[in-house]
Amino acid sequence: MKLGLLAGVAGIALAAMTAAASAQGTLRIAMTAADIPKTHGQPDQGFEGNRFTGIPMYDGLTAWDLSSADRPSVVIPGLATEWAVDAADRTKWVFKLRPGVKFHDGSAFDADAVVWNVEKVLKQDAAHFDASQVGVTASRMPTLRSARKIDALTVELTTSQPDSFLPINLTNLFMASPAHWQKLFAAAAGADAKAKAAAAWTAFAANASGTGPFRMERFVPRERLEVARNAEYWDKARVPKLDRVVMLPMPEANTRTAALLSGQVDWIEAPAPDAVAQLRQRGMTITANAQPHVWPWQFSFVEGSPFADRRVRQAANLCVNRGEMKELLAGLMEPAKGTVPPGHPWWGNPKFDIRYDPDAARKLMGEAGFSKAKPLTVKIQTSASGSGQMMPLPMNELMQQNLADCFFKVELDVIEWNTLFTNWRRGAKDETARGAHAINVTYAAMDPFFAMARFLDSKMAPPVSNNWGFVNDPEFDKLVAEARSTFEAGARDAALAKLHARSVDEAVFLWVAHDVGPRAMTARVKGFVQPKSWFIDLTTVSMQ
Amino acid sequence: MAPPPAAATILPPAQRHRGYWAGVGRRLLRDRVAMACAAVLLAILLAALLAPWLGLADPYRGSIARRLRPIGFTTPQGFTHWLGTDEQGRDMLARLVHGARLSLFLGVVPVVNAFVIGSALGILAGYAGGKVNMAIMRTIDVFYAFPSVLLAIAISGALGAGISNSLLSLTIVFVPPIARVAESVTTSVRALDFVDAARASGAGAFTIIRVHVLGNVLGPVFVYATGLVSVAMILASGLSFLGLGTRPPEPEWGLMLNTLRTAIYSQPLVAALPGAMIFVVSICFNLLSDGLRSAMDVKL
Repeated sequence: MKLGLLAGVAGIALAAMTAAASAQGTLRIAMTAADIPKTHGQPDQGFEGNRFTGIPMYDGLTAWDLSSADRPSVVIPGLATEWAVDAADRTKWVFKLRPGVKFHDGSAFDADAVVWNVEKVLKQDAAHFDASQVGVTASRMPTLRSARKIDALTVELTTSQPDSFLPINLTNLFMASPAHWQKLFAAAAGADAKAKAAAAWTAFAANASGTGPFRMERFVPRERLEVARNAEYWDKARVPKLDRVVMLPMPEANTRTAALLSGQVDWIEAPAPDAVAQLRQRGMTITANAQPHVWPWQFSFVEGSPFADRRVRQAANLCVNRGEMKELLAGLMEPAKGTVPPGHPWWGNPKFDIRYDPDAARKLMGEAGFSKAKPLTVKIQTSASGSGQMMPLPMNELMQQNLADCFFKVELDVIEWNTLFTNWRRGAKDETARGAHAINVTYAAMDPFFAMARFLDSKMAPPVSNNWGFVNDPEFDKLVAEARSTFEAGARDAALAKLHARSVDEAVFLWVAHDVGPRAMTARVKGFVQPKSWFIDLTTVSMQ
Repeated sequence: MAPPPAAATILPPAQRHRGYWAGVGRRLLRDRVAMACAAVLLAILLAALLAPWLGLADPYRGSIARRLRPIGFTTPQGFTHWLGTDEQGRDMLARLVHGARLSLFLGVVPVVNAFVIGSALGILAGYAGGKVNMAIMRTIDVFYAFPSVLLAIAISGALGAGISNSLLSLTIVFVPPIARVAESVTTSVRALDFVDAARASGAGAFTIIRVHVLGNVLGPVFVYATGLVSVAMILASGLSFLGLGTRPPEPEWGLMLNTLRTAIYSQPLVAALPGAMIFVVSICFNLLSDGLRSAMDVKL
């Protein structure tokens, strides 16, 4: 009896030791989102959603290269190994799929799964069509129309017009498991097929199945999401080192800082810049890297807007002291000279050099008819907080002070973040703009559509997309069309560079800052590489 | 909400006319806490009114090179920031004193507005009774269904940020409680003998309200309203904190609290100053209101 007990205890101890040896630990992350981003495959909450509930749990046909802190993050093969546009009909693309990939539920990933996932957001009469996923997906791949299976590992995608941006856009379409959904659909309760489908998607969000390096383990809405290592991940180089990642929503920067300092979490997103010194002092690691992100004022070109005058737009660009702004943010930003920085393939050598030169700015303002005695009153719509907005109030206050030196009298119209984001789609002519001459909404710039096409193309004026200020310039339209219809990567970059250079020369935005995506973590977190991206790769991380 | 004084304590105007307010003043002067609070409020009010002439730094201009300096920081040029500098490098003392203007304004004006509108509605409802009372008081009950903070945020959110919209939303928030106090006091006064006597001697409704009702109703409502000033200040600061009240760069305590909150780890004392001001002023208004209530209660 005694011997048996001893053997039992020894057995338990041995098992515990084995577990400890293989365990690489649990990483606890505090996100800036107020809720867990949607987990059914098409996350909400902006790109923080893609960062935490998209990329770790799912894959797209194409993906971002997140492996380097130095090289720009580019699009690489994901669940598709190669793709090509049809030389005769440039609205058709053929994607070759990766063989041997399995969803977390064990079912196979194939051409049928791709067609099913395209149809979940684009085919309204499909049984699994989910209107709630369309908003965050369709606007990120605006030209994709349909998908067709050619064979088990080949699909054909069709766009509404020749669009060379499609492979980049497809990083936003994550592949959810059709077989798993079908099982949940069969078990779902509902009066009709539509109600059953909605119930199945809700069940899928709580018990998700993708192909990603992490599988969902535990989900408590508004509280926590736990994902565990997927040992069978198809890319053996990216099988996670961690056993488990716990994600907690914490929208307030001070709360996140306190959580990190008190040991409640190991990693926080976006610490308050003024807390960084204290965090460093307490032995935390601060990581940051330039992101394809822009913190701008987007000008209105509608009749009556003073920013319809290029001299005024250029003067505003010359009057902001970005060095002081960097100091205000404790160094956690990069001064912006355009949508992309010099050296980027899309930079294009603009003639107008964005710098701090208040004398030149005052000269331009004088030419436009303004002076100290006759200042120009402009109204800017902004928010008090929001994803990617950095510190909107102090930053706008500093600009208000800077611009006052160049005869601008800036009035700030501060509204709630979601309202501002909605107004962005409604445009400067809408009554929700309340007569604003510029809007302060930050944007992502890793994709040519996001970075330029949606702001400069006159066809993208509200309600279609985010050309808030109704930029209407045939030259821009021509350059956008040229970039979209150029399929060779080098030539496409050259076309985009021309577009970018012209947008800077025309000073379409007041470019202020690029975010550097600061995050703070304890010294126990090892192996993290922060790429030049909004996204990160959690598979390289381990806990010491 | 404070219960209105019982009808029995209200005396006809002829008997209490002389000596009542003198007695109230005497009792108030003896209340040390209330007097200390009055002194603090008076000092802040004077500083706020005289702000441009106090030789303070420009509350709108700062220098990023001197941002978030501690209390008592002296620049190489010899200028001392007695209360440090904020996140834009502006002098905190100047911002707090100038901020007092807006914060006190946003605390007092909505309550004064609500006092006028609420008393008028309450007296009308209480005196007229019947269907008029029903119409006014049930409408007011609808506003009562919402917590005051939620109502203020909803109205400000719908109207947009700005000082005038904050004033409007806070006024709407405070009309119902004041109207309710005025109505209950009026209803009890209306049933008293001297009102019947006035009516029997041929006095019109307007005369009765002016001579007999107002004198009895305004006192308790006034005391109640002074207690609301602190709530108004906190709500106004809250709206500004959420970005629904004052717009930058106006110095206002709630807004300053918002923009300074991330500095809590680097300059905790400076970051706490606007909050301390809100706390001190609102608690002083509350204690002064309590003192006034005790002084006006003739039973004590």
